[in-house]
Amino acid sequence: MERQSKPAAMEVEPASKPKFRIPVDSDNQATEFWLFSFARPHMSAFHLSWFSFFCCFVSTFAAPPLLPLIRDTLGLTAKDIGNAGIASVSGAVFARLAMGTACDLAGPRLASAAIILLTTPAVYCSAIINTPTSFLLVRFFTGFSLASFVSTQFWMSSMFSPPKVGLANGVAGGWGNLGGGAVQLLMPVVFSAVKKMGSTPFTAWRIAFFIPGVMQTFSAIAVLAFGQDMPDGNYRKLHKTGDMHKDSFANVLRHAVTNYRAWILALTYGYCFGVELAVDNIVAQYFYDRFDVNLHTAGLIAASFGMANIISRPGGGLMSDWLSSRFGMRGRLWGLWTVQTIGGVLCVVLGVVDYSFAASVAVMVLFSFFVQAACGLTFGIVPFVSRRSLGLISGMTGGGGNVGAVLTQVIFFRGSKYKTETGILYMGIMIIACTLPLTLIYFPQWGGMFTGPRPGATAEEYYSLEWTEQEREKGYNVSAARFAENSVREGGPKSASGSRSRHTVPVDGSPADV
Amino acid sequence: MARQAMVMALLVVVLAAGCCAPAGAAAYLSKLPVTLEVTASPTSGEVLHGGEDEITVTWSLNATAGDDKEYKKVKVSLCYAPVSQKEREWRKTHDDLKKDKTCQFKVTEQAYAGAGNVTYRVALDIPTATYYVRAYALDASGTQVAYGQTATNYSFNVVSITGVTTSIKVAAGVFSAFSIASLAFFFFIEKRKKNN
Repeated sequence: MERQSKPAAMEVEPASKPKFRIPVDSDNQATEFWLFSFARPHMSAFHLSWFSFFCCFVSTFAAPPLLPLIRDTLGLTAKDIGNAGIASVSGAVFARLAMGTACDLAGPRLASAAIILLTTPAVYCSAIINTPTSFLLVRFFTGFSLASFVSTQFWMSSMFSPPKVGLANGVAGGWGNLGGGAVQLLMPVVFSAVKKMGSTPFTAWRIAFFIPGVMQTFSAIAVLAFGQDMPDGNYRKLHKTGDMHKDSFANVLRHAVTNYRAWILALTYGYCFGVELAVDNIVAQYFYDRFDVNLHTAGLIAASFGMANIISRPGGGLMSDWLSSRFGMRGRLWGLWTVQTIGGVLCVVLGVVDYSFAASVAVMVLFSFFVQAACGLTFGIVPFVSRRSLGLISGMTGGGGNVGAVLTQVIFFRGSKYKTETGILYMGIMIIACTLPLTLIYFPQWGGMFTGPRPGATAEEYYSLEWTEQEREKGYNVSAARFAENSVREGGPKSASGSRSRHTVPVDGSPADV
Repeated sequence: MARQAMVMALLVVVLAAGCCAPAGAAAYLSKLPVTLEVTASPTSGEVLHGGEDEITVTWSLNATAGDDKEYKKVKVSLCYAPVSQKEREWRKTHDDLKKDKTCQFKVTEQAYAGAGNVTYRVALDIPTATYYVRAYALDASGTQVAYGQTATNYSFNVVSITGVTTSIKVAAGVFSAFSIASLAFFFFIEKRKKNN
C-alpha cells in the first residue's frame, strides 16, 4: 500500500495517547510479535488469519484420510481418486491470483472471509455426494479456499514492520498449512467417534465432514466480526480519508508478469509447496495400502508430515533472515537452493526405502522438514522482488505452488501408471531439476548465486524503475524508496552501514509500508 | 555440522533396522490344493441389497481330495470379482496370501466338520461391487492349507446403502444457507456504514 509522504522532519505530531498495547513504528505497524497475545488489531489479525487459513486446509484435505472408505462407498477407481486430488489443488491456481487483486481493492478481511464462506457449501455437500463426478466437483470447489494464503501474507505485511514481517508471514503460513496435517488425525478420530455412536461406516464419514465445514464457517465469521484490515482501520475508512492511493490493475499486472524472478519463484515454489500438497493428498492412502496399517495409523503418519509445519516453515523464514544478516540476498538464495535440493534428495530416498515401514516414516519426517522450510525460505525472497506488484507476485508464487501440485499429481499419481513409491522417486528427481532455475535469479544491487552485484547498482534504482518519471514526481513510489533504504542489509555484511539500525525509527522517515 | 552428522547417523541406523524385516510363514494361493467344493445361493448375476438380502453358502470336501486331518477351521469370505478389481490397486490379487486383497469380507470362520453351510445377511459395510465366494481350510495355526471357491464364471452383485440420510441432507442445506447468509449480512452492514 502506498501512503503520501509524511510531513517533514521537524514537525512534531501532537502528543497522543498510545493507541496500541503492542509497540509500533511510525506507520503503526507492530515492531514486536507476541505470539500468545490477542492484542488488537495486530495480534488479533494474526490469530484470525492463521486460524481461518488453517480451517481451509482442514477442509481441502479432509477427504484423503477417509479415502479408504469413500472409495468403497462411491466405487471410485484409482483414476477417479487421482483426478479429484488434482482438482482439489487446481482451483486455487487462479483463485490465488484473483485474491491478490481482491486484497488490493477490498482489503484482506472482506476478501478472505468472502472466499472462505463461499466455499463452505462445497464442504457441507461433500456429505451428500454419491458419484465419482460429484466427488471431484466438491473437492474442486473446496480447494478454492486455499486462496486465503495470499490474504494471510498480505494481512501480515500490512500489520507488521519489516523486521518482523518475515516471522509473521512464516508463522501464519506455516500454522495454516498445519491444517493439512492435523486433518489427517482429526478425520479418522471423528469417524470412529461417529461410528461408535451407532452409524454405519458409509454414513459416519459423511457426518464427519460437518466438522471441517462448521470450523470454516465460524472462523470466517470471526474474521468479519473481529478483524481489521490495517492498523489504522478498515479499507473503506482509509479510502475515504485519502490515506491510500489506489493503483491501477493494469500497471500492477504489467510489473508482475515482466519480472522474470517472479516466474522462477513461481516454478520453484511449485516444487516445495506443490510437493507438500501432493503428498498431503497421497500419503495416508500410500501407508494404508503399502504397509497394511489401519486407518488411524495411516492418518497419524500422514499428520506428522503436515504437523512439521509448526516449526519447519517458520524455521525456514528465520533461516532466511539469519542468512541475510550474514551474507545478504545471496545467502537467502543459496539457503533456498540448498534446502530445497536436499528435500528433493530425501524424496528420492523415500521412494527407494518402500521395503521398510520404519525407514519410510523416518525419511518422510525428514523430508517434510526440508520441503516446508523451503516454503518459508521462498517467502523470505518474494517481498524483495517487487514493491509495486507485491500482492500480485505473492499471488503468482502461491498460484505457482498449486500448479506444481497439479502437475506432480497428473504426471505421477494419477491412475495406475506408476506405483506410488515409483511416483515418489520421480517426484524427487523433478524437485532437484526444477530447483536449478534459482541459479538464474540476479538482483543488480545484491547479486545472484554465482555472481556478485554490479558496482554502482542500488536498490533505490531497482525499485524506482517500476514507476515512470511522472509517477515518481507525484510521490507514488515513496514507500518503495523507504523500503529500499531499509533493505540495505541485503547487500551482504560489507554493505550494511554500521550506524543505521533497522530497529530505530529515523526522524524523517519510517520503516517501509509493505 | 554436528547436528547434520547426527541426523545422517540416525538415518543410517533406521535404514539398517528396517532392512532386517521379519519374514513370516507365507501361504501362496497357487500352491494350495483345491479340495473344497463351494456353492452359494444367489443365481449368477443376481443383485443383493446390503442389510436386507441373505445368501447361503454350502461347502464340502471334494470326493477326490486326500485326507483332511489338518483342517481345523474353515473360513468363508466374499471376494471381489475381477471386474470390481480393475483399476483398484487396493483390491489386487497377490499370490502371497498375506498381501492378497481379493477377499476382504469374512462370512464366517468356524470349526471344520467336513461339510457345512452358513446363512449370511449381507452386512451394511459391504461395498457396491461384484463378488464370488471362497472358502479356506485353516490348520491349527490359522494358516491356509487348502481352499475352494464358486464356479469360474459365477458372480453376484451387491448394491450397498449410500449412507445418505434425510437428516444429513437437511443439515447440509441449512449450514450452507447459514454461511451464505452470514456473508451477505456482513456485506450489508459494510455498505450501510460506507453510506453513512
